[in-house]
Amino acid sequence: MVRRIALLIAQVFFLMILSEIGNLIAVFFHLPIPGSVIGLFLLLFLLYKKWVRVEWFEFGASLLLSEMLLFFVPSAAGIVQYGALMSVEGWRLLLVIAVSTLLVMGATGWVADRLHHTLAKEKTTHAVD
Amino acid sequence: MLWISICATVLFFLIARMIYRRFQIAILSPIFTTLLMTILFVLLFHVSYTSYMSGGRYLTYLLQPATVAFAIPLYKHFQLLKRHSVEILVSVIGGSMVAISSTVLLAHLFRLNTSLTDSLAPRSITTPFAMDVSNMIGGTPVLTAVFVILTALVGLLVGPIVIRHLRITSSLAKGTLLGTSAHAAGTSRAFEFGNIEGTFASISMILAAGFTMLIAPLLVHLLQVHL
Repeated sequence: MVRRIALLIAQVFFLMILSEIGNLIAVFFHLPIPGSVIGLFLLLFLLYKKWVRVEWFEFGASLLLSEMLLFFVPSAAGIVQYGALMSVEGWRLLLVIAVSTLLVMGATGWVADRLHHTLAKEKTTHAVD
Repeated sequence: MLWISICATVLFFLIARMIYRRFQIAILSPIFTTLLMTILFVLLFHVSYTSYMSGGRYLTYLLQPATVAFAIPLYKHFQLLKRHSVEILVSVIGGSMVAISSTVLLAHLFRLNTSLTDSLAPRSITTPFAMDVSNMIGGTPVLTAVFVILTALVGLLVGPIVIRHLRITSSLAKGTLLGTSAHAAGTSRAFEFGNIEGTFASISMILAAGFTMLIAPLLVHLLQVHL
């Protein structure tokens, strides 16, 4: 148990270092890309070059990804600061967001599903379902 | 206050997850119940949002290593992504254009002012990118961050319903749909369907962010001029 926690902390810490390096690169080169995304590509590069191995981070990475919704809570609670705006424009804003989100989901899902089935027939490779 | 807000939020999350395990209903998704408990906590104990965030920001910070962590599924399933690159690209580009244009058109239809419309336009991509785009096109980045979160909540709620009603069966479509429409939150939901769905969602989220950043300034401008 203690060993697993130590492992988890070490792995998350390494991922943090990568995102901080990304932040430094973004600032240094004035890139309009978040440091964490640069960190993502750095890790991909390290994995591709086989300088690091997937197993070294898998535990920490999968925990961060599966519990990611928790990390959204503090920013989402920030809505308490916009009580005035929300009481005036709230329902219209929500309606725009909801209808548009439905349209995006419908369009993306429909196109992806159609293309997937059409291309799967053409290809000899196995379809992933 | 620092530790109180971290511990309270994590405790609410653990309770919320227990509730969700017991009753598997979308509206009881951990993020909703955790958010509800957190907002009640802030309001009932008269904690200002600023002092709540003195601890809360450490939880928010973990989104950064979590973003780096997306490299793992992307690397593991690289061959799969390569094989489906055409489907992924076409649906993400299509979806992103629908996201920007339908948001601007609907905002116009509901007579929202230009500043709100510009803040809404990039709402479907992940927060740091969305705030950048908002800044580029003349919106208010802080408001955009709120709309990004609202999009996540709406997406989590309606995503599974859309998948069921459109009879979407392929992992590819489930993943691209969730990643394109509801960024990291949608992607996290996609991982609940499975690793493959989550991987498709991860790549869609990244591509959607990049593509929106390229096209949004032009597309929003064109739409505003012609409305």
